[in-house]
Amino acid sequence: MIPIKYNVRSLFVRKANTLMTIVSIAFVVLVYVGVLALGAGLRVAFTASGDNSTVIVLRDGANSEMESYFPTETHRILASMPGVARGADGEPLASGETMTLQILERPDGTETNAVLRGVEDDAFALRPYIRITEGRRFVPGQTEIIVGDQLEGEAGGLELGSTIELGRFTFTVAGIFDSGGSSYGSEIWGNVQEFGDSFRRQNYYSSTRLMAESPAQVDALIEEIESSQQIDVAARGEPGYFEAQSNASSGVFLMLGNLIAVMMGFGACFAAANTMYAQVAARSKEIATLRVLGFRRRTILGVFVLEAAVLGLAAGALGALLALPLNNVSAGTTNFVTFSEIRFVLRTTPDVLGAGVLVATLTAVIGGFFPALSASRAPIATLLREG
Amino acid sequence: MIKLIRRNLLRNKRRTILTVLSIAIALILLAFLDLLLAAMSGVDSANASRLVVRHAISLTFSMPAAYEQRLAALEHVEGITIMNWFQGRYIDDRPENFFPRFGTDPDTFPDVYPELEFSPGAIDAWRAERTAFIAGGALAEEKGWEPGDVITIEGDIYPVDIELTLRGIFTHPTDEAAERVLYFDWQYVEEALGNPGAINSFYILLDSPDNMNETIAQAEAMFENSPDQVRAETEAAFFLSFIEMMGNIQFLFSAIGLAVIASIFFITVNTMAMAARERTTEVAVLRTLGFTRSRVLAIVLLESLSVGVLGAAMGLAFMVLTAGALSSFLASQGMTFSELRLGERTPTLVMGIGVSLGLAAGLVPALQAMNMKIVDGLRRVA
Repeated sequence: MIPIKYNVRSLFVRKANTLMTIVSIAFVVLVYVGVLALGAGLRVAFTASGDNSTVIVLRDGANSEMESYFPTETHRILASMPGVARGADGEPLASGETMTLQILERPDGTETNAVLRGVEDDAFALRPYIRITEGRRFVPGQTEIIVGDQLEGEAGGLELGSTIELGRFTFTVAGIFDSGGSSYGSEIWGNVQEFGDSFRRQNYYSSTRLMAESPAQVDALIEEIESSQQIDVAARGEPGYFEAQSNASSGVFLMLGNLIAVMMGFGACFAAANTMYAQVAARSKEIATLRVLGFRRRTILGVFVLEAAVLGLAAGALGALLALPLNNVSAGTTNFVTFSEIRFVLRTTPDVLGAGVLVATLTAVIGGFFPALSASRAPIATLLREG
Repeated sequence: MIKLIRRNLLRNKRRTILTVLSIAIALILLAFLDLLLAAMSGVDSANASRLVVRHAISLTFSMPAAYEQRLAALEHVEGITIMNWFQGRYIDDRPENFFPRFGTDPDTFPDVYPELEFSPGAIDAWRAERTAFIAGGALAEEKGWEPGDVITIEGDIYPVDIELTLRGIFTHPTDEAAERVLYFDWQYVEEALGNPGAINSFYILLDSPDNMNETIAQAEAMFENSPDQVRAETEAAFFLSFIEMMGNIQFLFSAIGLAVIASIFFITVNTMAMAARERTTEVAVLRTLGFTRSRVLAIVLLESLSVGVLGAAMGLAFMVLTAGALSSFLASQGMTFSELRLGERTPTLVMGIGVSLGLAAGLVPALQAMNMKIVDGLRRVA
C-alpha cells in the first residue's frame, strides 16, 4: 500500500495550484454552511418553543394562533378539564393568549410585522425557560410590556424604559426577557386583558395553552378536549405545532442551500478536476515508476482518488473554519405561517459543518475521479516517454 | 495573433472547457440570484395609479365596510373595490397548491384593474352568480381548470368552506405572476359569517399617478380620529412591505454572490497560471522571434479574457433560454415574486464579471510572461 504521506507531499509540490483549488472549494463550503446555518438556527428557535407536556388549543380549522380566535368562555371550559396539571397554587396551569401583528419600523427605516402576545400569568409557568434579564415582568393594570431578547433594539427601537403606542394605549417597556433561544424572543408580551382593551378585541383569545400532567398524558388530554361537545376547537402538542412552522419557514433555506451546493459544487468540481489532471500530467514518470515497481492499476486509481479526497477534506476544513464566525450572528426572516418576522441566530451545528466538509470531499473526489482513471489506464511506456 | 490565442486555448481543450464551464455555472447561479432579487424588489403588476388602504396597526386588523363610500368620495378616485385575503386550503397544504385567493366585489373590481383583459362574458357571469370565481390565465392553465369547473376551498382564517365555479379567465398584458390569482365574490363569505362587514383592504384607482401623494394624505387624515385608523400607500409600496418583512434577504443574496465570485476567481486564476507555466519556454521563443513585450502581454491577457467572456456568454445564454421555465417552476412551488425577467442589469452584471474575471485572472501570468528574461525562459524546463 502506498502511504498517504505520498499524497500529502505531492499536493505540497504544486503549492500554489493546490492552495487556489482549496480556497475555491472552501468558498463553496462557506456559502453552503452559511445557508444551512440559517435553516438550523430557525429550526432550533422553533424546537425550543415546543414543550413536550404542553397542549395548544386553537379554533377548529385554524393553522396558527394568528388565524385562531374563540370566546374567553371556551378558555374557561378548557382550563377546567380534569387532565390539566395544577400549579403550586392548586389552580390549573393554563394560559389564554392573544396574538396580533403590529407594524414596527426597523432601525434602517424599513418595516416589519412584530408579534404582540397577550398572556395570562401562567404563561411563565408554562415556559420556565423564559427569564427576565433586565427590568422586571409587566404589572397588569400598568400598561407595561416586556420585549424578547431578539427584538430588543431591532424594531420600534424598543429598549428598557422606552414607550410605544400599541392600539389605543401607550405602553412602557418594563423588562427584557431571555427566550432561551426560542421563537418567543421575537415577540412583545403584555397582559392579555390590556391588549384586548387597547385593540378593542375583548372577550376573545387566539389560543389556550394547557399543561398536561406528564408528556405521556398529552394524548389523553387532547382526546378529552376534542371529544368535548361544548367547544369547537382543535388541540395538538406544542412541538408538532412549532414543527409545522419550522418546516414552512426553514424549507426555503434548505432549498436555496442545496441549489447553491449543487451548482457551485459543479463549478468547484471542475476546478478540482483541473488540479488533479495537472497533478497526473506532472507525475506521469512517477506513476510509471510505481507501476514498474509492481503497484496495480487499481492502486494507482485509489491513490489519486485519495489525493483528491485529501484536497477536498482540506478545503472542507478551511471552509468550515471560515464559516465558524457565522455562529450566533443574528438574522431575521418571515414566519410564513403567521406572516410575522422571526429573529434568530445562525447555528453552525456539527451537522451543518459536517455537511459542508462532506460536500467539499464529494466535490473533489468526483472531480478527481476521471484524472485518476486516466492515470491508472495509461500504458507504462507512454507514461515514461511523457514528462 | 488571434490564431495563436485560439491555438493556445485549444491546446489543452479539457482544461479550457472545464474552466469555461465552471465560470458559466457560477455566473448562472449569480444571474439567478440577481434575477430573484430584481423580481422581489419590483413587482411589475403594480399600477402607478393604484393605491392600497389598510388598517394602520397591521393587515390582521380590518376596517368597517362603510369606509368604502367615504374613500370613494375623495376627489381623484376613479374606482374603488374591496380586497380580502381569504387564504384557505385548496386540496392540501403542499406549496404547489398555494396561490392567492381574494374575496372582492365583482361590481367594482374591473374599475380598479383596467389593465386586465377578461374572457368574453366573464364579468357578467361573475356578477350574476354569488359562487362564481374568475382565475388568471396562468393559474387556470396550471391547474387544468375549464369554465364550469367547481373547486372547494377550506377556510382557515375564516371558518367557512367555499365552493366556487369558474366563470371566466383574465390575463395581464405583461406579468404572468398577476395571473396566478383567484378572485371571488366576498359577499359569499360575508353572508356565511353573518355580515360582519370587515374589510382587510381597499384598492383604489386614481385619475393620475400625480395625485397619489395628495390622496394618500387625504385618506389617512380622513380616519385620523376614528377607532380604526388607516394607512394608505402605493400598490408598489404595499407589495414591497412583504419583501421587507423577509428581513435581510438582499444582504444574504449579495453575500452569497460575493462568495461565488471569489470562488470562480480562484478557479480562473489557477487555470491561467497553469496554462502560463506550461508555456514559459514558448513565450521565450516568441520573444526571440521578435514579438514585443506588449504583444506577449496582450496574447496572454486576451486568452484569459476570452475564457471569461466565453463562460459569461454561456451562462447568459442558459439564463435567457431557461428564465421562463424557471419562473413557472418557482411559481408552481408556491413562491410569490418569482417572475424572473432579464432586464439590462443582469446581463450587464454577468458580462461585466466575465470580463473583469478574465482580465484579473490573466494579469499576473501575463505580467510574468512580459517581464521574463528570454534566457531564463529558455533555460527553464516546464
